[in-house]
Amino acid sequence: MTEQDRPDPRQSGNRYDATSAAERRDDQSGTTREQAMAGAIGAGNPQDVGQSTFAATTDSLQHTMGKDRPESGSYTFPAFDSHHPPEKDLIDDCVHCGFCLPTCPTYVLFGEEMDSPRGRIYLMNKGLTEEPMNDTMVRHWDLCLGCMACVTACPSGVQYDKLIEATRAQVERRYERRADDKAFREMIFQLFPYRSRLRLAAGPLRLYQRFGIGDKLKKAGVMSRLPARMRAMEALMPKLQKEEKIPEHTSPTGERRRRVGVLTGCVQQVFFSQVNSATVRVLAAEGCEVVAPKSQGCCGALSTHAGREEESLNFARKTIDTFERENLDNVIVNAAGCGSTMKEYAYLLRDDPEYAERAKRFSAKVKDVSEFLQEIGTVAERHPLPVAAAYHDACHLAHQQGVRQQPRKTLKQIPGMEVKEITEAEVCCGSAGIYNMVEPEPAAELGERKAKNVLKTGAQMIVTSNPGCMLQIQASLKKMGREIPMAHPAEVLDASIRGEPVETLLDGRGLQG
Amino acid sequence: MERGQLIRAMESILGTEGVVHEREQLRSYECDGLMNYRVIPDLVVLPETAEHVQRIVRTCYEEGIPFVARGSGTGLSGGALPVESGVLIVLSRMRKILEVDIPNQRIVVEPGVINIWVSQEVAGEGYYYAPDPASQIVSSIGGNLAENSGGVHCLKYGFTTNHVMGAEVVLADGSIVHIGGGKAPDAPGYELLGALVGSEGTLGIATKITLRLLRKPEAVRTLLAAFEDTEAAGDAVSAIIGGGIVPAAIEMMDALCIEAVETAVHPGFPEAEAILIVELDGPEAEAEDQFQRTIEACEEANASEIRIAEDDAERALFWKGRKAAFAAMGRISNDYYVQDSVVPRTELGAVLKRINQLGEEYGMRVANVFHAGDGNLHPLVLYDNDNPGEAEKAEKLAGDIVLTCLEHGGSLTGEHGIGEDKKKYMPKMFTDDDMATMQLLRCAFDPHNLCNPGKIFPTPRLCGERPGPFRMHPVQKAGLAENF
Amino acid sequence: METRTKNVSLEDLQEIVGEEYAREAAPEDAVDGVAPAFVVEPGSIEETSGLMRLATDKGLTVAPRGGGTKMGWGNPPRELDLILSTTRMNEVIEHVPGDQVVRAQAGLNLEALQERLGRSDQMLAIDPPEKGAGATVGGVVSANSSGPRRYRYGTVRDLIIGITVVLPDGTVAKAGGKVVKNVAGYDLGKLFTGSLGTLGVLATCNFRLHPRPEAARTVAVELNDTLAAGQAAQALMHSQVFASALELHWSEDARLLTVLIEGISKGVDAQVETASYLLKGFGEVRTLSDEEADHLGPLTPPGTGDEVAIKIAHPPAELTGVLDSALGAAERRGVIPRITGHAGAGVTYVALSGGDEEARAQVVEELREIWVRRGGSVVVRQAPVPVKKRLDAWGPTGDYLGLTRRVKEKFDPRGILNPGRFLGGI
Repeated sequence: MTEQDRPDPRQSGNRYDATSAAERRDDQSGTTREQAMAGAIGAGNPQDVGQSTFAATTDSLQHTMGKDRPESGSYTFPAFDSHHPPEKDLIDDCVHCGFCLPTCPTYVLFGEEMDSPRGRIYLMNKGLTEEPMNDTMVRHWDLCLGCMACVTACPSGVQYDKLIEATRAQVERRYERRADDKAFREMIFQLFPYRSRLRLAAGPLRLYQRFGIGDKLKKAGVMSRLPARMRAMEALMPKLQKEEKIPEHTSPTGERRRRVGVLTGCVQQVFFSQVNSATVRVLAAEGCEVVAPKSQGCCGALSTHAGREEESLNFARKTIDTFERENLDNVIVNAAGCGSTMKEYAYLLRDDPEYAERAKRFSAKVKDVSEFLQEIGTVAERHPLPVAAAYHDACHLAHQQGVRQQPRKTLKQIPGMEVKEITEAEVCCGSAGIYNMVEPEPAAELGERKAKNVLKTGAQMIVTSNPGCMLQIQASLKKMGREIPMAHPAEVLDASIRGEPVETLLDGRGLQG
Repeated sequence: MERGQLIRAMESILGTEGVVHEREQLRSYECDGLMNYRVIPDLVVLPETAEHVQRIVRTCYEEGIPFVARGSGTGLSGGALPVESGVLIVLSRMRKILEVDIPNQRIVVEPGVINIWVSQEVAGEGYYYAPDPASQIVSSIGGNLAENSGGVHCLKYGFTTNHVMGAEVVLADGSIVHIGGGKAPDAPGYELLGALVGSEGTLGIATKITLRLLRKPEAVRTLLAAFEDTEAAGDAVSAIIGGGIVPAAIEMMDALCIEAVETAVHPGFPEAEAILIVELDGPEAEAEDQFQRTIEACEEANASEIRIAEDDAERALFWKGRKAAFAAMGRISNDYYVQDSVVPRTELGAVLKRINQLGEEYGMRVANVFHAGDGNLHPLVLYDNDNPGEAEKAEKLAGDIVLTCLEHGGSLTGEHGIGEDKKKYMPKMFTDDDMATMQLLRCAFDPHNLCNPGKIFPTPRLCGERPGPFRMHPVQKAGLAENF
Repeated sequence: METRTKNVSLEDLQEIVGEEYAREAAPEDAVDGVAPAFVVEPGSIEETSGLMRLATDKGLTVAPRGGGTKMGWGNPPRELDLILSTTRMNEVIEHVPGDQVVRAQAGLNLEALQERLGRSDQMLAIDPPEKGAGATVGGVVSANSSGPRRYRYGTVRDLIIGITVVLPDGTVAKAGGKVVKNVAGYDLGKLFTGSLGTLGVLATCNFRLHPRPEAARTVAVELNDTLAAGQAAQALMHSQVFASALELHWSEDARLLTVLIEGISKGVDAQVETASYLLKGFGEVRTLSDEEADHLGPLTPPGTGDEVAIKIAHPPAELTGVLDSALGAAERRGVIPRITGHAGAGVTYVALSGGDEEARAQVVEELREIWVRRGGSVVVRQAPVPVKKRLDAWGPTGDYLGLTRRVKEKFDPRGILNPGRFLGGI
């Protein structure tokens, strides 16, 4: 309401307020306290943390009680073995203050202690000494999205990321999942980390039809739960674009400032190859000699986050081998989940005498593309892109890597670009690696919540740094009958540097098939 | 009723998704924000409506099963500690804001609503909810009501009890009463609402709460002053308040605390033995005048540095450092024991000195972060649980600090509540007659001692009368109470 | 002939308090026409305790009394044997200006206390209309009496931080303390606030204090109609003007909404300007001289003689509706209303004169019908005894009456304190 069409309270009589609403909204003084509070848990603004009165549906709530959940009856005591159990010292850092609760997506949904970081850490502690690893314990650890919003929120500096990864590795080793659950997970890990298989699977035909996975799973004892998972997976699958080939070597524009490697990734390259080519072009434009080794594969992020320790370490070693050979200043990553894992290699490989030191050196070189660009400063000219874009924080970028301001800055450096903030920025969209496939109900509710918040910004497009988030948000929007173009910050920057019209970012950029 | 039957009874009220009964799940509820005390509840129920709460409580009442209400579980006195063989009623799913009534400056919420949501809800209208405990981003209004939570700004604006205007309450027998006027003031009859707020969940469960909203002040001024010693900082506090100024907040932190906070959230505080954060608000001219007088007072008390928050960002930074203080202790010490005593403001200097002495005598570190304006101390005794005997020593030191505060005319607790943790000190502050009189109130609300039994009072006594055939009360059976 | 009531003689009482301090009651000691037998004035908590023990033993009914300014509040007592006057217990026990806290005996005259605090530029922020008529600290607490400044400082419940009471069985108990921030134990101070001497006898009260403002000015707006009254009050409430009081005066002579602004003089001037600006859309605005402001208010009922005075508590945003309903109900019955109120707090007093008793009672009943249903209450503050008996001073109560009774039964199981005066026959 503008000042003009606002009725004068002294005339209209029934307005309670005699000061201008605009003036009140601009008056931030009283909100400082809330901002401070939000700041105390790492959020930029109180609006960033979970706040609405949204509650989970009954269906989803029952999920936390183990509805439809394939229980194996597996029981192991003590819960953990001596190979990297969740560390007691790290657990003891938790003072039980509960500051993590409102940023935890599952707590926001379910309102239950055992589905909060504080509760999960508590259960880990009990697992160290008093309680077994069984269906119940595993269920609540499984329900964690691994978004690490709690790591940001924690004033005591509890390293929940390390704790949950250690726990998940123990679960994968020591807990016997039921055959169908196991088969589904196995399928995911036999598929996603491998480009060639993904390309096949993501063809014009639907995933499970083409692969006959549905049949195979039925034979393996598919229960009622699986179709939900399959449906979820299917809904997420984007239309396969023509894959853009990434040259192994790209020369810098102008003087060479850095020699960098680029992780092209598995999902990113198959579904979002245009993000990779944009990344390479932007880096080259900013004076980088770019190397994209052909032999590279999956970085191991999906496996790491799921606790598939051996598999993930093998991916890590292979990735180090591949990039080490190239004598690089930095390794640039444009997928949030991959970047966070590669920065973690040093920790993951700490026991490997051959790789420990190399991993440390490698991890130090890993940078997210926005992070890197802000570090080296810009040289390429930015052309205007008059557009309002909502920036969505990918959890593994914001919480795990602490990269929040850099992508925003990168976008704001483009003339004409308006960056809109999304309410509840700290709360995960529900993608979370493989989470939206293995825990579809809570993921869908979080996705819907995020989509609603995105729509509230009124932005013309969404910018985010993670392929999983793109798929998840787009699928949620689609369910609501909406569609908003999406892009990676590198694509936006690429369009700006190349002087392309804003329409290239807006037209036909819905991702779903 | 057997446990299995009870679970089925609760499931018939709440559905399976509202009843937590597996052992491992229950363990995550065995303590609240204070981990020193742990009891595994028989089961946990998660109601979504007042009717759910009523039916749960009625079931408990009919079966003589004690119950405890819990919000976000951030309390620091063990107030939401479960009771053995009891039901824990967790209100975190009752989180609807039911009504915003700006013309009457009221908001009606369910108990699970998080404190900060209230201010967020009405910020666009230029309003806010004044009580701001450090946990406000997590703690629930129901929990705030039970504990009569304070906060850094309560010096000027009062505590939760001054802002709760009405409540729908489920009493221990499952009946529902509406107390306090809500939107109209001065409801006839006893001030039951004033008795309920701060009763630590022992008088009933609030299922709907009407809160007062305040108009945001016109101006806010914040400064941070550093001092070479705590006594000088204390002098500054006395001078400010003695000068007839009622600041919105005056907070003090000592060197240890500053260190911890710097490590945790990097607010960039100056190196000093003590820091004061003073905030003034109100009408522009008034706030400005008082601010200048506050600066003068700090200068006269030999502040080594005074920083004035130039904008909201800087103001937020000051508060960020302060509000993270407790949790940040994890950075400099494995364990800590926190107290919440209050002393008359004029006794601050003497008490702080004595606390330092005690720390030296015990050879332990004591960090101090506190609400200087109202004399509410939060001495944090730092220790390491892995060193045998240290925990006991820390508790003893903390106890000595409490007694020191009482000797100076203070109170056991300013905002955390007595709960489980401090009930042993109650006889140091109150006589048997005092406590027996308080129990009269308890007996009027909850004659069978079912509602959060065993808290606040060292030896809870039962109310004598029990309808129907005599049965040993579960609390009595457990040796927790004697007949009154 | 020696007066004995329930087998208690004057000597029995004198034995406890001394000869001078127990006497037979005079006609003016009657409460709503119910005459007590004796009046005692204990000088200490111990004596008070002794008296209460005796009363319990013998079943004497007791009415505690301070300055006697509010003895007409509530219903007429069912019976009354003894008036227990607290006026001899009138000391300031402790006042440390730096702590902004005072501990006072219940019988202390409120004005005397304010005078004493004023020497340290402090005040107890309670300003009930009867403050100059001898009201005591304990009486104000027991009756939960309030005045204009409640808008800024709240009421007794917001300022009381500790009490000592003597229960009917003679038990002396305290709750709270002498620090402002305190959550140890139950807050009995609040429970006793407004309990009208039905739970125990207040012996000492501790309060938080406020600095006395340096300057004060009152702005008034002449109101044309009730709509303007409601709107003007809302305009002020939702502005950032930090007023101490927002008062309504509505009678034949004046129709004003006044805003009391206190603070440092520079700040007061600026706020007076803002307030004047906000109000000028509702009528003619002027600044009142101190004298005029003092004269104006608070001219709260109870009025005089056989006026029926009521207190309507209502959501503050409904001020216009309250005025309309009161004026309308009175007019239809030929009754003359005089209205004042704490417009910002949602308290409106109506004193009814003219018309016959029946008509005045009907006005009250009609207002109750409306405002109780809308979440408020209509309490009779003063009325001729027959009217009071017909109406019940408190009116309909909510679902908390049972709980209220249980509280009474626990604190006063034999029902010897002020029987019948409180709501629900308590």
